Amino acid sequence: MRKTKLHDVAVLGVGMHPFGMFPDSSNADMGRIAGLAAMKDAGVSFRDVDAAYVAQIFAPVMTGVRVMKEFGLTGLPVQRLDNASATGSAAFFEACHAVSSGRYDLVMVLGFDKMTSMIQETSMNTDPAYLEDSILPAGFFAMWATRRMHERGTKPEHLAKIAAKNWNNGALNPMSQRRPDKTISPEKILSSKMIAWPLTAMMSCPIGDGAACAIVGRADMAKKLRPDRPVVRVLASDLQSERYERGHLFMGPVVGPARMTVDTSSAVYEGAGLGPKDLDLVQVHDAFVIEELEYYELLGLCGRGEAEACIERGDFERGGRVPVSTDGGLVARGHPGGPTGLAQIWETTLQLRGEAGPRQLERARTGLCHMMGGGSVCAISVLQRD
Amino acid sequence: MAEQTKKRRPVKAGYFTVPENPAEPPRLLGTRCEDCGEHFFPKRAVCAKCLSERTTEAPLGPGGTLYSYTFVHFPLFGSMKMEHVGYGVGQIDLPEGPRVQVPLAGKQEEFSVGMPLVAELEAIREEGDTEVVILRFKPTAAAGGAR
Repeated sequence: MRKTKLHDVAVLGVGMHPFGMFPDSSNADMGRIAGLAAMKDAGVSFRDVDAAYVAQIFAPVMTGVRVMKEFGLTGLPVQRLDNASATGSAAFFEACHAVSSGRYDLVMVLGFDKMTSMIQETSMNTDPAYLEDSILPAGFFAMWATRRMHERGTKPEHLAKIAAKNWNNGALNPMSQRRPDKTISPEKILSSKMIAWPLTAMMSCPIGDGAACAIVGRADMAKKLRPDRPVVRVLASDLQSERYERGHLFMGPVVGPARMTVDTSSAVYEGAGLGPKDLDLVQVHDAFVIEELEYYELLGLCGRGEAEACIERGDFERGGRVPVSTDGGLVARGHPGGPTGLAQIWETTLQLRGEAGPRQLERARTGLCHMMGGGSVCAISVLQRD
Repeated sequence: MAEQTKKRRPVKAGYFTVPENPAEPPRLLGTRCEDCGEHFFPKRAVCAKCLSERTTEAPLGPGGTLYSYTFVHFPLFGSMKMEHVGYGVGQIDLPEGPRVQVPLAGKQEEFSVGMPLVAELEAIREEGDTEVVILRFKPTAAAGGAR
């Protein structure tokens, strides 16, 4: 039987290289900056690291272990993972369970990617690798929005309000790719370029580069290493793939079945011994804002069919009932690939410690991080401050 | 049908038929499970519902019902045709059960959830005397009453 509950696992340190366009920075440069920052934050040296999980999608064979050499050559095991958008979250999931099982005391989870170079390479092809490749990812998510509008009367204005929230949250985050210098209105979101109706460019995440790192270890080490600050535990973590149901889409597996988020979050809530009502902040896979709207309901932050009313009330804004995408989300903070899920861990850890600067929420004890990977996996972790 | 003398090749083999007669709609190439009867698209060796390995190829469609849709404001990947700078995309429920995602013929305002559709082939470019074709669906009204 698979267990989601973790025993005495904590986030000891976090670090990031900003997300954005960095044509002159290599994966090694960005990874080194994020990794050194995380080790400094944890108060550890690379000699203390028992193992490394590298989260990276778009780079040649062995890039993971090569980038790790930036920190030194200490003989530690290095494994590279890929699970599309959920790559960083999947590596974090593995690291947490490795520590929980007693296999390691202290693990580095390092994510980096240069999505800009991936886009350049694939655009050279003329024939699709898969039949559905002619369809832009935005198109798949747009169909989720069209169906929602048909069933629930959702308006583009609801989507625009989520996007404006995330852009404005991104303005407060020094690591965010999109940092608008003035408040973004829902009207501005609606008037941006239409990509796939009803989704506009400003409702969609940008492509970019970046890196993020988390140091995961035993909770008692957290107290010893940094007695000056609260321990941030990882209570439970899970990763699930799809379950077959009639109507399952085998082609264009970008969105994924809605129930994957329900199943994975239920397992994590059970393992963590809490429920959605206990959450103070939530990060989700908002590559396109229709996703964030659906995940409000699928994660149980509100009831089925209630998302639109919650959006109108501002329930998920800073200062609302449960702030979501507090660092800007994928839409503003950005989504380079491998490091994206670790940026969520960075944000949640800082918020729970009370170190989130201008983004700091008044009440932040328990946070949830949710990512989807290629519509085929869902990874969720729940973090809590002691 | 001025171009019916041209040979046609699918952009990707194994997903749909290319009938000799251009007036005949294509079928999607899927799988039927001999044990539980579930259908799948595209083809697969093991049944995703009951895990049986007793599966056989089954042509699906050409009719379907629109479950959801969008209109993408970017050029269709791999196409050299000006009319493909924007294109519809639909999720279509086939009568046998599978749901598929493929491009749609027509403009956004011509689509509505629940409408009947039929499959057709559309050339995206020419290679010598051969047309490279994709499979897409179109509203049956525009098909002149075909199915």
